Amino acid sequence: MSLLHEHIVTYAQEKRLSPQTLARWQAWSEEDQAALLVVVRVLQLGDNHLRDFLDWLEEITTRDGGTTRELLTRAEISQPLQNALSRNDKLKAVKEALRRLRYPRLSRLEEEVRAGVKALDLGNRIQLSFPPMLEGEEITVEIKARNLQELIDNLSRVQHRVADGSLLRLFALFDEV
Amino acid sequence: MHTYQPSEILIEQGEEHTPVVQRVLTRLPHVPVRLVEKDWERKTPVASEHDPFAVGKRRLLFTRQRSPFLEHCPAGTSGLVCCNYFVVSLISNCSMDCSYCFLQEYLANNPTLKVFTNADVLLGELASAVDRHPERHFRIGTGELSDSLALDPLLGFSADLVPFFAARRNALLELKTKSDSVSGLLALDPKDRVVVSWSMTPPEIIDTEEHGTASFAERLAAARQVQAAGYKLGFHFDPLIEYPNWEEGYRDTIERIFSTIDARRVAWVSVGSLRMTPALRTAVRRRFPRTRILSGEQVACGDGKWRTFQALRVKMYRTITGWLKEAAPTVPMYMCMETAAVWEKVFGHVPSSDKEVARTLTQPNLVGV
Repeated sequence: MSLLHEHIVTYAQEKRLSPQTLARWQAWSEEDQAALLVVVRVLQLGDNHLRDFLDWLEEITTRDGGTTRELLTRAEISQPLQNALSRNDKLKAVKEALRRLRYPRLSRLEEEVRAGVKALDLGNRIQLSFPPMLEGEEITVEIKARNLQELIDNLSRVQHRVADGSLLRLFALFDEV
Repeated sequence: MHTYQPSEILIEQGEEHTPVVQRVLTRLPHVPVRLVEKDWERKTPVASEHDPFAVGKRRLLFTRQRSPFLEHCPAGTSGLVCCNYFVVSLISNCSMDCSYCFLQEYLANNPTLKVFTNADVLLGELASAVDRHPERHFRIGTGELSDSLALDPLLGFSADLVPFFAARRNALLELKTKSDSVSGLLALDPKDRVVVSWSMTPPEIIDTEEHGTASFAERLAAARQVQAAGYKLGFHFDPLIEYPNWEEGYRDTIERIFSTIDARRVAWVSVGSLRMTPALRTAVRRRFPRTRILSGEQVACGDGKWRTFQALRVKMYRTITGWLKEAAPTVPMYMCMETAAVWEKVFGHVPSSDKEVARTLTQPNLVGV
């Protein structure tokens, strides 16, 4: 048994990985297995997170070419692993970076929507929220007011953004890729 | 196209003298035959082989359908726009093996490709429903749990179905296929009551993801043949698959189809995004580790199925239906398993009811050109 194989099996036992997850990992080339081992050790991935990583890494390399090792050594993935962050923050940063690679157009659209909302400058008493993954057609508008005047002011801010067309542009973003 | 060759023929006791069994035994004299007891399939554990679903496809079982044949299409899930379609299944499972096929989940524990021997009961059921409601127009398809024509050279069901529908004015039969097995249709007169439809994807998707099916060129040649024989045609761009060159691939596919066949005799065209349950994605990943269909930007939708995310999906629908309208301006189009919101974005309106969609697809002027 190679040292790499031994390390992976030991990790699988520690984390009680399912046989299916372990088999998928071990079906990769040795370089790819080793590159993932580095990541999973830092992030202490259990079965569910590891399955997400396997899915996304396989799907990205199938679509875009290249190897998993190349993908995992990209700066946006490898950098957070070395930063002085908590394990949870590292996991969040790496997953977000991987998600951007897995869903490039959806991520871009989500960023445009976030930027569009920021540009509306509605203040912190008016909240706009969007359906998850932008799957749907409704924007939820939440207005907080402590008194009637505040409500009138906030409604007027919204009305102003309707009139200048910036809210219309935000709705249109739903259909733009 | 790959020719179906079962590894074994299983015949439920009492069914050995039925017409379809006799036909198959004559056509496949070298395949081992075994008589099995009633409900054999239910009592038989799923094969322990590496890929039991693939093994099951090659085990051909003849049995009786003991439930009603005629069902409403299950795609009419609540919350999605429905086209009021009916399905009947004389075959359960498919000789082909598309990487995205829902049967991998739906029939996962099914150890056979099942053929029902009581087509006479099916015809009786259909006659009873269709003849009792002369005011209604029925669209009925056989392509839900199997390809409608792939096994027709072996089973010959079209010889029963086509004359049945040809004799009725208020029902259309749709034979939905990815095969080129149309020889059994050519001598029959459909009298405008039969639509032979092809599921179409660009050739590069057919070649890599639709295993055992007819090539794009073979499907198109078969479509031309049946059109010349008097059949209406249908085309289903379903599943629409998002891949790096999808625009070029689909544009070329549409151009080739409509420069080959007469668009005036096309009954309908549908579009529908690739959709998969999480369990199906797992099955696909296991059975087709090299597939590219899971690599599109698919997300979980409200009904639990994964589809290309909405903005991109709408762009694909608009682009493709735009090309279809240019190529075939009078052909009715519909979407399968989509929300009212997406209908509105793509077609600019939402049908008021499932009956409105169905009416558009069965108008006599559209099917009687």
